[in-house]
Amino acid sequence: MRVTRTFRTMSSLLLLAALAVPALSGVPTEQVKETTEKILEVVKDPALKGDDKAGERKRLIRVAADERFDWQEMARRSLGRHWRSLTDEEKEDFVALFSELIGHSYLAKIQGYTGEGVRYEDEKVDDKYGVVETTIVTSKGVDIPVLYRLKNKGAEGGALWLVYDVSIEGVSLVNNYRTQFKAILSKSSHDELVEKLKAKLPKDEECKTDDESSASADSQ
Amino acid sequence: MKKFDVGLTVGLFMVVGIVCLAFLSIKLGRMEVLGSSGYNVRAVFTETGGLRSGASVVIAGVEIGRVKAITLEDYEAHVLLNINGGVEIQEDSIASIKTRGLIGEKFVDISPGGAEEIVQPGGRIRDTQPAVDLESLISKFVFGDT
Repeated sequence: MRVTRTFRTMSSLLLLAALAVPALSGVPTEQVKETTEKILEVVKDPALKGDDKAGERKRLIRVAADERFDWQEMARRSLGRHWRSLTDEEKEDFVALFSELIGHSYLAKIQGYTGEGVRYEDEKVDDKYGVVETTIVTSKGVDIPVLYRLKNKGAEGGALWLVYDVSIEGVSLVNNYRTQFKAILSKSSHDELVEKLKAKLPKDEECKTDDESSASADSQ
Repeated sequence: MKKFDVGLTVGLFMVVGIVCLAFLSIKLGRMEVLGSSGYNVRAVFTETGGLRSGASVVIAGVEIGRVKAITLEDYEAHVLLNINGGVEIQEDSIASIKTRGLIGEKFVDISPGGAEEIVQPGGRIRDTQPAVDLESLISKFVFGDT
């Protein structure tokens, strides 16, 4: 038992070392890595496994994601021209709803990840904009290219790179939602769009964004 | 007198015929002889999927420009788009390469954003989506399933 344990630790250390060596990466990559690793830690943590820990896992992942993802920027870009017609309160509410929606949509996928790791392939920086190309290596051996678009929102001289778009297999998340929202908004009002999106969230999450619906049955 | 008239008429017809031919070939060949109106913007794609020079640039299905040139720089495709004057492209617009039908010709679709800033002539559309490589997607689907 002991032998396999040390072997495992050694091989994961070697793997980490191997990953660390070619990384002459810049700040955007470092920051993306930080967040990705935090999230993966939560997913892989044996102490957090099991259905009873689902809420805790979700909370921790959300905290890590909030550090790196600029939900406001993503929500704004997804609404496109429509964003400008919203009141400040509507904007705030929409950003909160949007981040809940994204979190909910991808949470299951993230938690199902039992893969080998993430490769940080390339980084391109142009003034305040950066692109980090990564590849997620799954246990089936299939490589999934994931591209992060970031904007440096740090103060003068500082570096706080926040993600404003994620492209998986070349398909942009923002573009995807933008197309769908545009189609919905061409036929219905903003409030109807909000209702449609709220309907996609499980009941217990709706409580946070809507005062009326009480905490009904636990869906998780 | 008569001979002179006939000669002149024939000559005139010849000239008119050549001018028409030239006009037709320029129009059909989509050449820009008189200089193009509009302005140029760049977009960088990792995969153009066979996009050709002269392909349409489209917003909401309406052609608002054409692809002027495609060059390879640093192993990426730098596409120069000529956009009609009067059409504004927001800073957070997303340029994607789409296909007419499923296996038709490629064109550039621009999805307008909501930013206040507009891409200036000579500027760049930062957010791009490469052409979908159906074959590699199918192979991933097949491979991933085993």
